[in-house]
Amino acid sequence: METRHQLSAAGPAPGLAVFPLAGRQGVRAAGEVGLTTRAIWEGVLEEAVREGEDVYYLELSDVTFVDVAGAGALAAAAGRLRDGRRFVVRRPPAALRRTLDLLWPGQRGIEVSTS
Amino acid sequence: MTTAVTEPFGPLDPFAHPALFYRDEQEYLDGTLPFVRDGLDAGEPVAVAVPGKNLALIRDALGDAAESVRLLDMREAGRNPGRIIPGVLRAFADAQPAGRRVRIIGEPIWAGRSGVEYPACAQHEALINAAFQGRAATILCPYDVAQLPEHMVTDAYATHPTVIHPGSRAEQDSAAYAPEDVVARYNEALPPVPEALMFAFDSDSLPHARHLAVGEGARLGLVGVKLDDLALATAELTTNSVVHGGGSGVLRVWSEDGYVVCEVHDDGHLADVLAGRRPVPRDQRGGRGILLVNLIADLVRVHRSDSGTTVRCWFAR
Repeated sequence: METRHQLSAAGPAPGLAVFPLAGRQGVRAAGEVGLTTRAIWEGVLEEAVREGEDVYYLELSDVTFVDVAGAGALAAAAGRLRDGRRFVVRRPPAALRRTLDLLWPGQRGIEVSTS
Repeated sequence: MTTAVTEPFGPLDPFAHPALFYRDEQEYLDGTLPFVRDGLDAGEPVAVAVPGKNLALIRDALGDAAESVRLLDMREAGRNPGRIIPGVLRAFADAQPAGRRVRIIGEPIWAGRSGVEYPACAQHEALINAAFQGRAATILCPYDVAQLPEHMVTDAYATHPTVIHPGSRAEQDSAAYAPEDVVARYNEALPPVPEALMFAFDSDSLPHARHLAVGEGARLGLVGVKLDDLALATAELTTNSVVHGGGSGVLRVWSEDGYVVCEVHDDGHLADVLAGRRPVPRDQRGGRGILLVNLIADLVRVHRSDSGTTVRCWFAR
């Protein structure tokens, strides 16, 4: 026995917008990281790996979700940072913290900041 | 690499996987303690992952030696049978120095496992053999034959190449050993879906599918990390359908018996029986979606059929 709820897809899919941070190296992202926005996210990380400063900030307080592939892209990018460099991931969504803890515990090059 | 490493289940396979049948606490300790002590004496890493009451028995009997053993309550660590191989057994074995033989006591089946959990338990026991093939490890699996239904004990003869009878110390070959048969036999159709939220998704509506699942999960009483886990599981399963399962699928969410249940069906065929049960090397990109679902859900059941693949996962409220 199954009741079909009539549901229609509402509105455009949420995207991922990226803005440069003022005064320090990094970006602020807003939206969601999933299959449809993965290329944007990977582009951000690719560029970040090539930058020169020791710390690269990823301000994620307006990112509401990151899927496992998105977390994996972050872990892979962090693994490619030259020694002494790191990502500071600020206020990430709970899903990203959970995935990093379970699948990439202690990944070098990632510092999660919840403040 | 030596040729022995790839020998399939042959006499050279260094992996051992005996079932230990016991009827009471004394037989339990008689069967498990020498196994632990022999391992410690040989300098082998030893882990014990059994239900809490039995864990306390072993810990108390070991005394100070318990500090040298990794102790895990299987009711928590192995709540979902699908995460025992990657999250408990391989997690422990892979963390040891290469080539070092490891010993693990793993008790994934206890009186009180539900009828919906048991098929996943039996498949897990069967798949241990494939997941550890060629590895220098011994996994001893105690079975409480005084309390478990007969069919579970019968299955243990099919999932373990050797068995140890109650009160005995001797391992005997199991003539009924046939792990692939068990995996196939418990590939059962899932129990009927009650009234449920239902949504047909494709690549354009992936985010919407997740939002709907989270909204319904919240309405049905999931909060906090459990709701985050429902979002992650929905995202991984629906994304898999779009990428590997024919491009679309159907999501269902409902509640039953204190759980919020999420199911994704698609037309794809998930051929790899160890999908989501292998630890993934740190440098490998991708391939972790079902693994994560196994790690976070309280139960995962998979049904593979000619009409596609159904993955159902349970989250305790």
